[in-house]
Amino acid sequence: MRMKSIFRHETILFLVVIAALVILSIQAEQFATIDNLLNQGRFLTEVSLVALIMTFVIVTGGIDLSVGSILGLSAIVLGVAWKKLGLPLPLAILVALSVGTLAGLFNGIIITRFKVPPLIATLATLALYRGLAEGISQARSIRGYPEWFFVLGQGEFFGIPTQLWIVAFFTLLTGFILTYTTWGRATYAIGANETAARFSGIAVDKTKLFIYAASGFAASLAAIIFVSRVSTTRSDMGMGLELDAITAVVLGGTSIFGGKGTIVGTFFGLILIQILKNGLSLAGVKSDGTYIAIGLVLILTLLISNLFNRNSEG
Amino acid sequence: MNNQYENNNKFFSRFLINYGQELVLLASIIILFVVVSQVNHRFLGGNNLNTIFAGNAYIGVAAIGMSILIITGNIDVSVGALIGVLATICGTLAVSGYPIWVAWTAPILVGIAVNSLVGIIVAYAGIPSIVVTLGMMSILRGGLISVTGGDWITDMPEGFFLAQQDFMGIRVPLLALIFFTILMFYIMSNTTWGRSLYAIGGNPEAARTSGIDLKKGVVIAFAVHGMFVGLSTILFATQLNIIQSTVPPNLELTVITASVIGGVSIMGGTGTVIGSSLATILFAAIGSSLIFIGVSAYWLRAIMGILILCTVLADMARRRRVVT
Amino acid sequence: MKKYLLLISGLLFSSSLALAGDWTGGDDLPTNPLPCSGPAPAGEAKPYDGGSPTGAPNRKGKTITVVDVPKLVGIGYFSATTKGILDAAAEMGSMNAKTDGPSEANIDDQITLIDNYITQGVDGVLFAANDPGAIAPVLKKALSKGINVVGYDANSDPDARQWFVNQAEFNGIAKSLVDNMAREIGGSGGVAIVTSTFTTPNQARWIAEMEAYSNKCHPKLEWLETVEAQEDNILSFNQANTLINKYGSDLKGIYGMTSVATPASADAVTQANQCGNIAVVGLATPNAMKPYVNSGCVESVVLWNPVDLGYAAAYVLRAVADGDLKPGATSVNAGKLGELQVINGSEILLGAPYTFNKGNINDFDF
Repeated sequence: MRMKSIFRHETILFLVVIAALVILSIQAEQFATIDNLLNQGRFLTEVSLVALIMTFVIVTGGIDLSVGSILGLSAIVLGVAWKKLGLPLPLAILVALSVGTLAGLFNGIIITRFKVPPLIATLATLALYRGLAEGISQARSIRGYPEWFFVLGQGEFFGIPTQLWIVAFFTLLTGFILTYTTWGRATYAIGANETAARFSGIAVDKTKLFIYAASGFAASLAAIIFVSRVSTTRSDMGMGLELDAITAVVLGGTSIFGGKGTIVGTFFGLILIQILKNGLSLAGVKSDGTYIAIGLVLILTLLISNLFNRNSEG
Repeated sequence: MNNQYENNNKFFSRFLINYGQELVLLASIIILFVVVSQVNHRFLGGNNLNTIFAGNAYIGVAAIGMSILIITGNIDVSVGALIGVLATICGTLAVSGYPIWVAWTAPILVGIAVNSLVGIIVAYAGIPSIVVTLGMMSILRGGLISVTGGDWITDMPEGFFLAQQDFMGIRVPLLALIFFTILMFYIMSNTTWGRSLYAIGGNPEAARTSGIDLKKGVVIAFAVHGMFVGLSTILFATQLNIIQSTVPPNLELTVITASVIGGVSIMGGTGTVIGSSLATILFAAIGSSLIFIGVSAYWLRAIMGILILCTVLADMARRRRVVT
Repeated sequence: MKKYLLLISGLLFSSSLALAGDWTGGDDLPTNPLPCSGPAPAGEAKPYDGGSPTGAPNRKGKTITVVDVPKLVGIGYFSATTKGILDAAAEMGSMNAKTDGPSEANIDDQITLIDNYITQGVDGVLFAANDPGAIAPVLKKALSKGINVVGYDANSDPDARQWFVNQAEFNGIAKSLVDNMAREIGGSGGVAIVTSTFTTPNQARWIAEMEAYSNKCHPKLEWLETVEAQEDNILSFNQANTLINKYGSDLKGIYGMTSVATPASADAVTQANQCGNIAVVGLATPNAMKPYVNSGCVESVVLWNPVDLGYAAAYVLRAVADGDLKPGATSVNAGKLGELQVINGSEILLGAPYTFNKGNINDFDF
């Protein structure tokens, strides 16, 4: 038992993160500065919000491939509601968040009511939501947002990028929910054995609906921060986000088969990928080399972690 | 008499259970063809059928391999990146003076090698296939750019362009798709190896007790998938007189969608390659028909998404009726 | 059953009629078509509207480190601009240049990369923007750190960079494409467009300008349809084939709007044995088009020289860093390309678009 806790996946991942930090600081002098590290928080935000909820989704044994498309759709809804329909921007933000949440809820309904496997359901809505974004926008980008709106994506709060506060808040909140609440325990129970969870009186469908809706909400919140960061709205925003988020979650040790995983793990997974992207670039590695490195780190980290866990079990 | 009828009925419902999704897809394709040809009769012209069938056959061939993999409970998200890499290898060999058969064989061998390696990591190190192939996708994509720098490959020798050939009046890619679909359907339903694939995905415990080497089985499934990726690459690379040495965007999603909408259960254990091939053709036909009936290009992808969702829900409705 | 089929097909047919007759794929910005013949009118001189770096050190004559961030790496077009930049850097001997870009034309990856290079502390940034607005904040950040910023190929908001090297004006490209098409198909007939995506700014701009010029000078060219094909050559090939199949002999010409779509469309026309019946006119690099131009299937390909574009961008950046190119200048020296003119306030014009044909295409290698 003790051995196991020492060689937990999260511990190994933490050591890998530390090793990466040390090596990259030696390789690139600009890397280990407060400015640079805080700045990375800006780039980490959108994928973090999505990955935190994706952890819940994957722990239940599901997956949500439509998050990137929900991000695109919410961004377009934000822009259209504000510019074309003439709503005040705060109201348009609420509309965009609602549409994203509804899109996630719709995923949940297809999955729970019609019993469509999550991968298939969200593959279909991946195409649908992106298509809606394209159709609604008519491929026009929307710009000219007021200055105050950029505080969210480009501003600072007590010297720390605004969106980092949001990410920190959501990390603590999701970590707390998954570890200490009945919701969290229900999430694990569903992933470990759905039938048993049902029999023991857990509201399986309700929990799942809530989680997929939350995933949609996270994607739409990410959309608003992203629009604020880049100051424009396009229908192709967030393309490929789903794979980045899933990569961070599985690197964090969440089992793709469900039942196992932590927010701490996802958090380290996110950080490791971001510091590799940033640090390698600062050390003079081009983006193609960075792709290769991230792929290798993903496979090797899980390989090492599996070896240790197998030994400690045996 | 009554008994006979009951038997027939039983046979019919069995048939529906086993091949229901294939029937839904086939019916959708036929309805689509009938409706769209009413709007524009050119839709059923020989050239357009060639565009739909032969132009997309490479997706179907890759989806055969993907289906085998998914049936064993695994998945490969690196397939698009691998096709990009293999196409570059294929084209480079052809223009550097190697015999054409070498250029054609190399993608198959490299495909088998790469995927066997993935299979070994998945089976013997116990890392889920989605993780290993996510990593592999990243590695292949980065590697391709580092090596080629994005140059196009042109001036392939005469005789290289397999996918442009006709055989008995039918385009080679379509023939290849039909041939491999039937071959793999037969092998998977009638041989010990084929049935063992379903056992590995459907009920690994039972498979183990009945003497199947699970780990070896998974590695072999990956190797066979790699072979189909190689075959798909040959059709992909020989279709045009130029090879674009980049990763085709979103190809992995197209291939996976064809497999799972084709009825291959993502939980493993059920599905056929006929379903995935029909799904490939259905999607290609939908894409083409939306242009033919003049749907606004901005709404094209949304309508495509609705139609995919309809296919999925129709299948679920059918399953429910069969079960109850 | 038959009733339903008729109803559905009727609905689809009427909706297709309702949607026809509208150019798809253009943007909403005002267009400025050139005169049908004769020289282009001289544009009004505009004051400098670019940005300027704050606290840039004196870089005159010093060796500078420059990063080039194109829309994406791994396509022939940007390999060619990279070559131009490296050629210029080697010629000047006072510039360390390297190219690093995303593997897909993704706005976010491009922003992240530029940000990393700002942190690394380069002296200059060359860019080709995936989105003029999205890239603006990070470019402004670069300017605020005293980095010289010059764009080429695809512009950003003017105040987010110092200068932009314009390969050819949008209305010039549009005129060239439409005139070539009109000449090749005899002045009238149906034409269709294969583009990358409707959200790509350059392509949307060209399509809008082509519409304006075509309506003004070649009203008998009938626009049929625009289809999207990403930056994917097999998809472009299939989409071009679908257009050929749909319109049959009503289709006289296909415009390829990207260096991927044009050769794939030419291949579709070749394989459909329609060479001579369907003209392909488009933007493409000569290397990818040689097979089709040499076989006679394609008469002319329009493009500027991307190697020269990269080369000019590097020279402009050097001139800006040296302080030789200041707001208000009317021309700049670009090495072997000679003096290039300043237009539109803060843009430098590479020249008129170039038409490649059977007679000259084999002289180019990019």
